[in-house]
Amino acid sequence: MSNVIHASHLTLTYGKTGKEVIKDANFSIKKGEFVFITGPSGSGKSTLLKALYGKLTPSQGNLVVGGLDLANVRPRKLQELRTHMGIIFQDYKLVNEWTVKKNVVLPLMIAGYDTEVQDTQAHRLLKHVKLPDHADKYPLELSGGEQQRVGVARALAKNPVVILADEPTGNLDDYSSNVIWDLMENACQQLDTTVLVVTHKIPTIFSLPYRHFIIESKGVYEVH
Amino acid sequence: MKFIKNHLMFILPLMAILLGIEFYLVFERTTNSYEKGLKEGYSMLVVTHKPMELSEFQTLNEHISTSETIKREYIVFEVAKGISKSGSEEILAALPYFYNLGLDSYLHTSELEKIKKNLESNIDIKKVETFGSSYNSNYRLFSFIKFILKVFIVFMGVVSLFLIIKQMEIWKYAHKERMQVMEIFGAPMMLRSGVLFRIAFVDAIFATILVSAIFFYTKFYWAAGSGIDIMMQNQEALFKFTDIAILLGSAILIVIIAVYTVVFSSKGVQE
Repeated sequence: MSNVIHASHLTLTYGKTGKEVIKDANFSIKKGEFVFITGPSGSGKSTLLKALYGKLTPSQGNLVVGGLDLANVRPRKLQELRTHMGIIFQDYKLVNEWTVKKNVVLPLMIAGYDTEVQDTQAHRLLKHVKLPDHADKYPLELSGGEQQRVGVARALAKNPVVILADEPTGNLDDYSSNVIWDLMENACQQLDTTVLVVTHKIPTIFSLPYRHFIIESKGVYEVH
Repeated sequence: MKFIKNHLMFILPLMAILLGIEFYLVFERTTNSYEKGLKEGYSMLVVTHKPMELSEFQTLNEHISTSETIKREYIVFEVAKGISKSGSEEILAALPYFYNLGLDSYLHTSELEKIKKNLESNIDIKKVETFGSSYNSNYRLFSFIKFILKVFIVFMGVVSLFLIIKQMEIWKYAHKERMQVMEIFGAPMMLRSGVLFRIAFVDAIFATILVSAIFFYTKFYWAAGSGIDIMMQNQEALFKFTDIAILLGSAILIVIIAVYTVVFSSKGVQE
């Protein structure tokens, strides 16, 4: 299987001070793998995730995602790469002035799908995330768990190659957390999507085989 | 109500800038015709020992554009009333040659002095009269009015620009979240900023229509019946249909700069 993500001698610095968060990291993630990244607060988990979707440029080494070296990527290529990613944030990052349906179909809108396809997909995805009657509501009318499920539906909308999730169940109730883990497991199992989840704690009930990386003292280590 | 307020907050400063541009255009047109009148009404008197051609004057100074010979017979006719024909002929022979010289533009008095010196450097030229004092007062008044109006237009433009910057901050606040989320999911810039462009373009068109309407009314309804000479004489210069294109072009340029500034300053994911 080919590598979807490959880091070699990767160093990431953060902020104006140029503080090193990750130093000389080497790892590879293959297509269809489910990966957990854990580590103490402030260890650089979210920083690594930002680097993976091109928000942060590596200061040294290489970080190749989907065949593109993010250390030297052109903005247009990065933009295209992002259309193949599904990103889930702890704070949801939904557009509050848009309806739930419009938020969910954002990746389809960007890809230029017509409204009929968008409507069908929105209906299917909202059913999947157990929010079938919330299409015309606005994010602020929903609970945190519901908003995160909308975020997950949006991430899955275009069957992405990679899902990057930053603490997706951080502040959620058990019901919403379970729905989200199920959806990500299904995406990985059925669509061969690579899923990379940054979290404090790996869920206790998890049926899929997974890889576990830990970030500690600026290094990224795999736990066997 | 909020919708109207949001639009007015951009339309009004944009209108102020467009009014400034239109004032400038109108002022340039009216002052050009006034300047032309002053220029055409002005000439300097030159007295020479021998007959001279225009080209000879022009070799002395390039600003000289016309030369009109003042017929000496009229002068003799006026001064030699009751004098015999031979006496008149003697006076005519003794008289120097007189010319009215016209200039190619409305020049500063220092330029007039320079022309006078150039002319006087020729040994065939006996005297040059520039009528400097009346010219000077006209020129100073004209320059002063022109300066004041330009200062006013610049001031209006600067104040309006600050209001537009304020509105850009509001836009940034209102659209940043949406644009950032769209950017994360790989939306191209035109898609991210589409809403903002639509709002801004509508505002630009409205502002252009309103400013054009004001000047259209001024030209066709108000100026004709105002009884103000300068307005009635320069009615044609008050508004031209080509001004609509200039105003719309300027409004769209301002809009594009404003929207691009907002879009580029909203790049990146909020930490």
